[in-house]
Amino acid sequence: MLTVPYVTSYLSEHFGDDAFRTLEGYRARGGYQAAKKALTEMSPEDVVELVKTAGLQGRGGAGFSTGLKWSFMPKETDKPKYLACNADESEPGSFKDRILLERGPHQMLEGILIAAWATGAEKTFVYVRGEYAYPARCLQQAIDEAEAAGILGANVMGTGFRHDVVLMRGAGAYICGEETGLLESLEGKKGQPRKKPPFPAQYGAFGMPTTVNNVETFCHVPHILTRGADWFRGFGTEKSPGTTIFGVSGHVVRPGLYELPLGTRLDEIVFEHAGGVPDGRKVKGVIPGGMSMPVLPASMLDVPMANESLRERKTMLGTGGIMVMDETTCMVRAACVITYFFRDESCGQCTQCREGTGWMNRIVERIERGAGTHEDLEVLLDVCGKMEGQTICAFADAAAWPVQGLLRHFREDFEEHVRRQKCPFPDSFEL
Amino acid sequence: MSLSEQVRDGIAREMAKYPKKRGALLPALHLAQAELGHISVETAKELAEVFEIRPIDVMEVVSFYNMFYDRPQGRHHVYVCTNLPCSLRGARTLMRGIEARLGIEAGETTADGRITLGHEECLGACAYAPMLRVGGTYHEDLDLEKAMQILDGLE
Amino acid sequence: MPNVSIDGVEYEVAEGRTILQAIDDLGLLMNGVDIPHYCWHPKLSIDGSCRLCQVEVEGFPKLQIACNTPVKDGMVVRTQTESVQRAREGVMELLLVNHPLDCPICDQAGECKLQDYAFEYGLSHARTEEPRRALKKRYDIGPTILLDQERCILCRRCVRFCREVPETSELAVFARGDRSTIDVHPGVELDNDYSMNVADICPVGALTTKDFRFKVRVWFLDDVPGVCTGCSNGCNIHLGVASNKVYRYVPRRNDEVNETWICDEGRLSYKAIGAPDRLDASELRHADGRVETVRRDQAITLAAAKLRSLIATQGAGALAGIASAHATNEDLFTFRRLLDALGIESRACPVPTGRSDALLIKAEKAANAAGARALGFGDPAPVLDRLRGGGLEGAIVLGHDLLGPLGPDVSRLGSLDTVILIDTHHSELERVADVVFPARHAAEKLGTLTNHAGRVQRVQPALEPPFEAYAEGEILTRLGEALALPGFEADWDPRAVSKRMAQEVRAFAGCDVDSVGDSGKPMPGGSA
Repeated sequence: MLTVPYVTSYLSEHFGDDAFRTLEGYRARGGYQAAKKALTEMSPEDVVELVKTAGLQGRGGAGFSTGLKWSFMPKETDKPKYLACNADESEPGSFKDRILLERGPHQMLEGILIAAWATGAEKTFVYVRGEYAYPARCLQQAIDEAEAAGILGANVMGTGFRHDVVLMRGAGAYICGEETGLLESLEGKKGQPRKKPPFPAQYGAFGMPTTVNNVETFCHVPHILTRGADWFRGFGTEKSPGTTIFGVSGHVVRPGLYELPLGTRLDEIVFEHAGGVPDGRKVKGVIPGGMSMPVLPASMLDVPMANESLRERKTMLGTGGIMVMDETTCMVRAACVITYFFRDESCGQCTQCREGTGWMNRIVERIERGAGTHEDLEVLLDVCGKMEGQTICAFADAAAWPVQGLLRHFREDFEEHVRRQKCPFPDSFEL
Repeated sequence: MSLSEQVRDGIAREMAKYPKKRGALLPALHLAQAELGHISVETAKELAEVFEIRPIDVMEVVSFYNMFYDRPQGRHHVYVCTNLPCSLRGARTLMRGIEARLGIEAGETTADGRITLGHEECLGACAYAPMLRVGGTYHEDLDLEKAMQILDGLE
Repeated sequence: MPNVSIDGVEYEVAEGRTILQAIDDLGLLMNGVDIPHYCWHPKLSIDGSCRLCQVEVEGFPKLQIACNTPVKDGMVVRTQTESVQRAREGVMELLLVNHPLDCPICDQAGECKLQDYAFEYGLSHARTEEPRRALKKRYDIGPTILLDQERCILCRRCVRFCREVPETSELAVFARGDRSTIDVHPGVELDNDYSMNVADICPVGALTTKDFRFKVRVWFLDDVPGVCTGCSNGCNIHLGVASNKVYRYVPRRNDEVNETWICDEGRLSYKAIGAPDRLDASELRHADGRVETVRRDQAITLAAAKLRSLIATQGAGALAGIASAHATNEDLFTFRRLLDALGIESRACPVPTGRSDALLIKAEKAANAAGARALGFGDPAPVLDRLRGGGLEGAIVLGHDLLGPLGPDVSRLGSLDTVILIDTHHSELERVADVVFPARHAAEKLGTLTNHAGRVQRVQPALEPPFEAYAEGEILTRLGEALALPGFEADWDPRAVSKRMAQEVRAFAGCDVDSVGDSGKPMPGGSA
């Protein structure tokens, strides 16, 4: 069952404490003081500036500066402004937002309130993936409590500021985690990402200026308000400050969540925190940031988990979902699972993504069946090239990168399949 | 079967939360499906009237999302996550076992209409694999015996 | 106005347009500036999903889709670079991954953008032998259209068309990813007044009209510019003609008239041209009711004699001229001259009416009602009153639209001394006429038609009628000649008549058949 992080820091400090999930318990631990401070002592511009100075980066995968994103919201406008909280956590290997919703819903709501003040938003739509029934119940409870206590609603904490939070449940579509796919879904449509321009800050949910942030991103905000930018920058690296909650899964002794500073080395997380691979087997490869991110071979795990260092190894932090694959693993089977996922989840709008994801999947499945050719490997890479950077949203890139990564570091696995016309990894996980 | 008053009230409450009615379409589909089991052409027609859209607008949304069904389902939905983190820890072996025990393949419903079995993409339980979902409830850290115990307990 | 450089050439373009729109505004799209595209259509909302129109825009690290990138002053666009070519190649290859490649049995062959662009921009060889999607073929989705889901490239033009133009929304994309298909809702057919336009805008052979399917390979067709004669909107069309037969009308773009659309009824009105009920010979009706088929000249001689004797005995006041709103301005101008020369003042033009909508369909079901009015042929009520009340002894009638307002009084017409009829199709009027001349359809002659908004538009001969038929103007000219009227000696020359009309009739100043060109020209005074 979902357990509190094995290693905790400021975000998850109280996650072991059931009371922290309630308004009373949250307040007893200093909760909503940061929001009170923002709304009564700071101007919206001050808040944006502070979050910029702190260097908070979005934790939903793209790593964009949160303060900067907030500053894109128009100041002079007659239109209502909205926030959207992306709780559609669907990136394979990621399960941090789930615990943030289950164990600390008020922490997120407080972050939302502060962001709402900073951007002038009157309403936040929290889009929770449909499968997260329990986390959604936990959050709804917290919203109800906060409304009853006057923390949300027409007169937030007596300040005269209005803010409502609406929880909406998705219905099973990975693409709704893409911010404009989310907006479409929020409007009761298919979650097909929007072409840009216009951008959400001009034309977002229901045509109104909207900023979309990830669950964890909001959760960092109260801590920055309370303890300042310098304190926040005390965690992590110069370019990537703060902690994040890493999810470790796959072939490790202690799969689970770990709240650690950005920049913590991947090998430290895999071997020290998660206990390495069971039964004395060796690591073969690690996907460092959710399934969209290219795999790293065992020889490259000495990398700090921050975008600036991961990029040097042609991968990225993504959502911090770390998947460990041991030496028995057939990387072609991994490719089958990965390409099937992207094929299944492509929204189907853009040619390259709709057709490319399926084509890649058919090729790797054929290779795994023992019917592949050497030319297939070139075609695979070529298809990746044709998908990357060519579509409405980054989904096609996310589908191409992991295949490129597998071929970059584990081409031998693919070639061996072709040479022997069968899968040479009898002990690998079953397909 | 048509939408009950309760569902209609629920939809009205949801509509009030959104600046445009249609924002409440996904919540309405959840409510309707919880009561009726799936979204039939007739239900789509009723919802279309409520939302002042066309039935086809409802059904294309239904078709896009995994969690909405356009045809009758078993009484319980059992979904095994078969994405990579779960597969690495034996999810597909578990799935084979369940298929054998239930005598159906993923995507099918048992003859008694009790269980519709399916595989699903990542459910955010990667560290607790393999796992399955019965409706809104997660069951984690499973093996075949534990899984069958859960399934056998379904009415 | 922003200046944009495209492949090194500077263009001044309109503010607030995207690159593709701006090029289209200038009339250069695929006509000087080649940016292939599937999902973009000038009259539909921007979709941005086919990704074929990607171009290099200076300052952007990635290629941009030309359909959705707003123009900015000083923008530098390149459409023919290596990275653009590669992107096009990529899209083309990926579109063909699931395409059935059944061109030999596909009726779109010859006007298929998938074929054209694959040839122009694609790879020379296919690299996939993977099985393709098996989906519904020859799928009957409504009274006019068949769908082949396997050939569909999911550009969604048809979906947007039904949503945005007739606003009937019969089509949608169901499911997602490579399982996506276009389909209708169970029990709701694709059935609206404009449904067949989806076949025109479908870039591939996924949507075809039941009417045209497998009638003829399109490369055998000549596309002759013309005007639909179904109503007074005058939608611009291409007549698809092969072996002296019209196989179809397809809309021809005219932003002032019909954008790129046509209604289904108008589209199918081509069938009237080759219909079995065409009048195909001159006829005389004898006193005993016997009908004799004669040569035209014989009929002319007899008609002239009857007219001459009637005018001599009863005076020109006993005659009326009934015009047809289907005839060209040139025909009607000639009619007017003849009536003037004979001193016949009682003139009218009955116009059939029917259903209309806010889009293209007009209530007046004839192409030249406004032209007839501009030439002095108005409301038929006074003439009908005279017919019913007595005092009328003869009539020269073009067309059979008089039947509507005449109703059961058609027999009254039969009791007149002389009725001369010039018409395209058989009708009840024929039975009361003394002399009948077969006329040409608008698709068979040169001339102009004036639409409801006063726009003068050209028709030209797309085919020769397979029997002896003449433009109304020509018959009337010969009649004038037989009556020895001055100015009717020359051979029928609709171009010369048109020029004369433009000089003599103010409403048509500057609007002769040559000056109006292929896209027409508004009458100087506007609608009549």
